Amino acid sequence: MQKTAQNTSGLAFSFVELLDRVENDHELLRDLLVIFKQDYPRHLLSLKGAVFCSGMKQVQASSHALKGMLSNLAMARAADAAADLEQMGRNGEGAGLKEALAHFEQEIADLMPVVDSYLEGARR
Amino acid sequence: MKILIADDDRLSRKLLEKILQRAGYDVIAVENGRQAAEQLCEQDGPRLALLDWMMPELDGPGVCRVVRRHRKLSYVHMILLTSKESKEDVIQGLQSGADDYLIKPCDPEELEARLRTGQRILQLEDKLVEAREDMRFNATHDTLTGLFNRRVILDLLGRELARTQREQGCTSILMGDVDYFKKVNDTYGHMVGDEVLMEIARRLLASVRSYDFVGRYGGEEFLIVLNSCAGSFALARAEEIRKSVAQGPVQTSRGLVAVTVSFGVLSSKDWGARTVEDLLRETDAALYSSKAGGRNCCKVAKPNVVLQGTVAPPLASPGRTR
Repeated sequence: MQKTAQNTSGLAFSFVELLDRVENDHELLRDLLVIFKQDYPRHLLSLKGAVFCSGMKQVQASSHALKGMLSNLAMARAADAAADLEQMGRNGEGAGLKEALAHFEQEIADLMPVVDSYLEGARR
Repeated sequence: MKILIADDDRLSRKLLEKILQRAGYDVIAVENGRQAAEQLCEQDGPRLALLDWMMPELDGPGVCRVVRRHRKLSYVHMILLTSKESKEDVIQGLQSGADDYLIKPCDPEELEARLRTGQRILQLEDKLVEAREDMRFNATHDTLTGLFNRRVILDLLGRELARTQREQGCTSILMGDVDYFKKVNDTYGHMVGDEVLMEIARRLLASVRSYDFVGRYGGEEFLIVLNSCAGSFALARAEEIRKSVAQGPVQTSRGLVAVTVSFGVLSSKDWGARTVEDLLRETDAALYSSKAGGRNCCKVAKPNVVLQGTVAPPLASPGRTR
């Protein structure tokens, strides 16, 4: 477990901060990551749909939901990217929305191996 | 202590639930504002709440407004969870009735500290409510017997008579006076006299229905208001109450003391639209008859004139040895 934490530091999220937040409860951390893996695709799908049809209110709502999940998991960079999208949705800024979405997806893609690796380690 | 978490994000709910369970809270978790408002508006619902700002159906500030409007009996300490940090947002949240706010994601230690503050506020509120209820009780009840005091029993009688008149029903009034109470005080002392009065009060209360009123009218005088009690039953009810008082001697710190009570009885229906004072005067006269008739008995007041709106001449109530 410790090895995973070291491997993830400096990447897309602060494992140390996350462990602190769950008060070192690895079982809880595993549960949270499982919930994240189950729930984020739905929000992401909703966000993508909203971006492509310029449903700014939905962009705001979906990115807000994603930002909340990512913040709770100390995934700061992805949370920041979601916050940018939320802000654009709130301000009705259509320009640059697709680029912001692509950036967000990249952040999520960077996170997934770390999440999967942790979950794999937790299973063993 | 029960605490409610309202958050549409399953992950956030799980995290908060675990932190709070570890801290010893009994957690109720819901996923939207409507469910939160329903839970918090229940009479014995949670009194601590963590409410996400943005939620489906009803947002956090909306929940605060509903709860402040509908839950009047006990205070609920509500903390908004938000990623909104602007001064305007904070002001808006607090104006909706929230007590505090926390920026998400929450630090467990800060969360617990804020909740402890909330608990302190609730404890303070409980003490204030308790003190207010004590004052209310003391203002309306006789301190020795715990019965309604004179002011309240007269007020209740007035209301009951007005209702009875409106509905053309009947209220019966019983005025009771402890027989030879002076002798009890002189023989055993005033402390024992108080013990006797307390026990008589208990017996009176035990012998009436839950919706009748019993009050201490004076030193050793009691007033009983039998709601919706027809005149034909009044004397029988008075007899039952009299017997329940006289059922056996009262156990006091100075031994057993035999007690009886004499009653004057009046049924409002036979008396037209008289004032409370008139009716009490007539009941008192009937009580005097009971005393004159040998005590430990009940006498019914007899109306002279029964016409609506007429006033009977006041009966002289000569001094008597109670």
